[in-house]
Amino acid sequence: MLELERIRVSYGAAPAIVDVSLAIGERELVCVVGPNGAGKTTLINTIAGLHRIDAGAMRLEGRDVSRLPAHRFCEQGVAIVPEGRRLFTGMTVRENLELGAYRRAARARRVQSLERVCALFPALAQCLHRPAGALSGGQQQMVAIGRALMAEPRLLLLDEPSLGLAPLIVTALFETIRTIAAGGVTMLLVEQNVALALEVASRAYVLEEGRIAAAGSPAELSRRPEIRRAYLGLTEEAR
Amino acid sequence: MMRTLGTLFAAGVALACVPLLKLPAFYESFLYLVFFWIVLATSWNILSGYSGYFSFGHGAFFGTGMYATATLTTKAGMPFLWTLPVCAALAALFGVAIGAVVFRAGRLRGELFALLTLAVSYVLATVILNTPIDGGPGVSLAAVAIPQLAPTAPSTFYLLALAAAIVTLAIAYAVQRAALGTGLFAIHDDEDVAEVLGVPTYRYKLAALALSCALAGAAGGIHALFVSYVTVGETFSIVVPLSVVLMSVLGGTRHWLGPAIGAALVTALLYIFTASDYAVAGRAAVGLILIVVILFMPQGVLGRFVRRKPKPASGLEFAHANARIQDLTPSVTPSGETLLSAHGVSKSFAGVQALAGVDLEVRRGEIVGLVGPNGSGKSTLINVVSGHYRADGGRIAFAGHDLTALSAHRIARLGIARTYQIPRPFAHLSVHENVTLAAMFGHAGLPRAAAEREARRWLEYTALAPKAAALPRELNLHQRKFLELARALAARPQLLLLDEVLSGLTPAEIDGAIALVKDIRAQGASIVFVEHVMRAVMQLADRIVVLSYGRVIAEGSPAAVMGRTAVVEAYLGKAHA
Repeated sequence: MLELERIRVSYGAAPAIVDVSLAIGERELVCVVGPNGAGKTTLINTIAGLHRIDAGAMRLEGRDVSRLPAHRFCEQGVAIVPEGRRLFTGMTVRENLELGAYRRAARARRVQSLERVCALFPALAQCLHRPAGALSGGQQQMVAIGRALMAEPRLLLLDEPSLGLAPLIVTALFETIRTIAAGGVTMLLVEQNVALALEVASRAYVLEEGRIAAAGSPAELSRRPEIRRAYLGLTEEAR
Repeated sequence: MMRTLGTLFAAGVALACVPLLKLPAFYESFLYLVFFWIVLATSWNILSGYSGYFSFGHGAFFGTGMYATATLTTKAGMPFLWTLPVCAALAALFGVAIGAVVFRAGRLRGELFALLTLAVSYVLATVILNTPIDGGPGVSLAAVAIPQLAPTAPSTFYLLALAAAIVTLAIAYAVQRAALGTGLFAIHDDEDVAEVLGVPTYRYKLAALALSCALAGAAGGIHALFVSYVTVGETFSIVVPLSVVLMSVLGGTRHWLGPAIGAALVTALLYIFTASDYAVAGRAAVGLILIVVILFMPQGVLGRFVRRKPKPASGLEFAHANARIQDLTPSVTPSGETLLSAHGVSKSFAGVQALAGVDLEVRRGEIVGLVGPNGSGKSTLINVVSGHYRADGGRIAFAGHDLTALSAHRIARLGIARTYQIPRPFAHLSVHENVTLAAMFGHAGLPRAAAEREARRWLEYTALAPKAAALPRELNLHQRKFLELARALAARPQLLLLDEVLSGLTPAEIDGAIALVKDIRAQGASIVFVEHVMRAVMQLADRIVVLSYGRVIAEGSPAAVMGRTAVVEAYLGKAHA
């Protein structure tokens, strides 16, 4: 569905992503892990069309989209849950969510979509009329995820969705991610909760200093000692 | 600092000799206008450029000076020179009166502040036009004696404006270098954070406004006699407020000299064109230049060419800074003494009860973990304790002080520091300046030089030293989180409030951060931390407090609390049981 071929992205002179090739098949759930500063967020923003690619090519369903502006990505069915939420804080929760369904294909079904999001995050159902900026950090994260789901995306990009969520909600969130994946949505997940991410993913990449350092099935990766040490740490014992 | 001021005064003395050259009066009048606009633009910049409170009302304060001199010289017979201090005082008083109201009314910034200040000048113009101050026909100062500072009148005005310009520039420079300027730049980037770090934002804004108005008032006083015929239409036209904005933006608002350069450029350009037959072309040219500058040099001419100088600390300095925290904070032995006690604290937002009577005690040297579902009030509690929000009810006491009615900067001074869930660094200040500011205004209250050294140490401690000269946007999330921490630590707090410092970090990075927090406590600081990373909570906390729907539902040792059914159901979920 999505194919990156040796892409390179820089901020000014500093390269953030170098020679990254990556492929996501239809209905796959791929996760990208790596230390902070490795370029994970840049990678996900690039796929959402927010960064210009210096070299290499990006193809969405076989079409070259290397030069497409961000809003066209949205129309193509790509949705993002950005790092740091980026909500429209002055608008109500309902308005934020409904804006998520802006893309033509999703607009007609936004009532049903809203019900689905509310069922997923019952905490949001109680505060639909409140301004998003007045919610707690974790609740805002729920709105950001809900907003992306409202677009009924075909490719969903999740940048650290569990950030700031209570353990109970994190568990529920990953169940939801599974459900969404089972529903046929292709997903790219960047997540610091590596143990959980590897549990739900069908394939994983390790990104270090802007390059792909390793790739493989979750089982295979989590057997490697260097990955166990750096990313799994003690997370198996208590998350 | 003294060198720059010395150079400035030397330039002033040199320029004061210009009348001795006996140039045609034309040159002196032209230079008068240059200096006049330097005063107005620079004085505008002290408030609006430094603190970001964009004012469109500079004409009102300038006009106050114009009419003060016109009235006092013609109706009260006061000698002209004596009226100038009166102009400055009146304009400052007028400004402070407005500021005292406007700055209290919450966050009235951006277009609202600009429109409000513009409205003030229209109100003032209307009052002057319809009272005996003017009454309509204007006031003529033709009969007022021009002081004999120099052989000719143009020379006298030249010297007066020169003196005003030099004084204004010296003040602008001194403010930028002083704690006041540092505070104003912090207000520019994030006023809430500035206040929480200990910057007395309200007082600083008033002080900047008073200075800005006083200088504009004095310039108005001089200009009244220069034009010798004062009318409401000319005085309160849009020319003054608009020109000072244009000049400052053109020259660069983040530097004391920027507006002066913009003022000189614009005045010279207009004069060149006016002198020839292309006055209209001159205005068009200025407009075009402004468009180009805004598009390609948004920081202004000076901002473009004067790069922030990275202060690369020599290797020696950093090696020295590698000292451990022991050397920095007086070691306090953990005791049973209560440091913070909150009783029945409540807070609601638009009908939603975020805190419904929370009790919290923190003893000296203790680490308290604050956990609970999303929206249970954890961050709100931190916001109330740090003074960001005022509690609706209840009492909070800290080290013998009642915090309930204190403003955030006073609470910071008393020794409470906090971090933000999503890092909120001052975007236009370097990493090093961000931390320096906290050491200057926080509990440590250090003078600048000492604060800069202190900041270096904490940057070293949090492994940010190589990024000292970078702007915050060049940092990744992990580094921004540690910048938050360095900023809080540089204040040398007695109580540290950490709001999810670990979220978004990899397990290896979390291990490093846990060691850091333990180290901080080992030196006597008490810590309250909000966290969802259970591993860290279990390892760090001496005591855990669980919030749900704004109430404490459990409290005690980590192991005991986490086993309770209520906590499992509300927060952890069955997977953790």
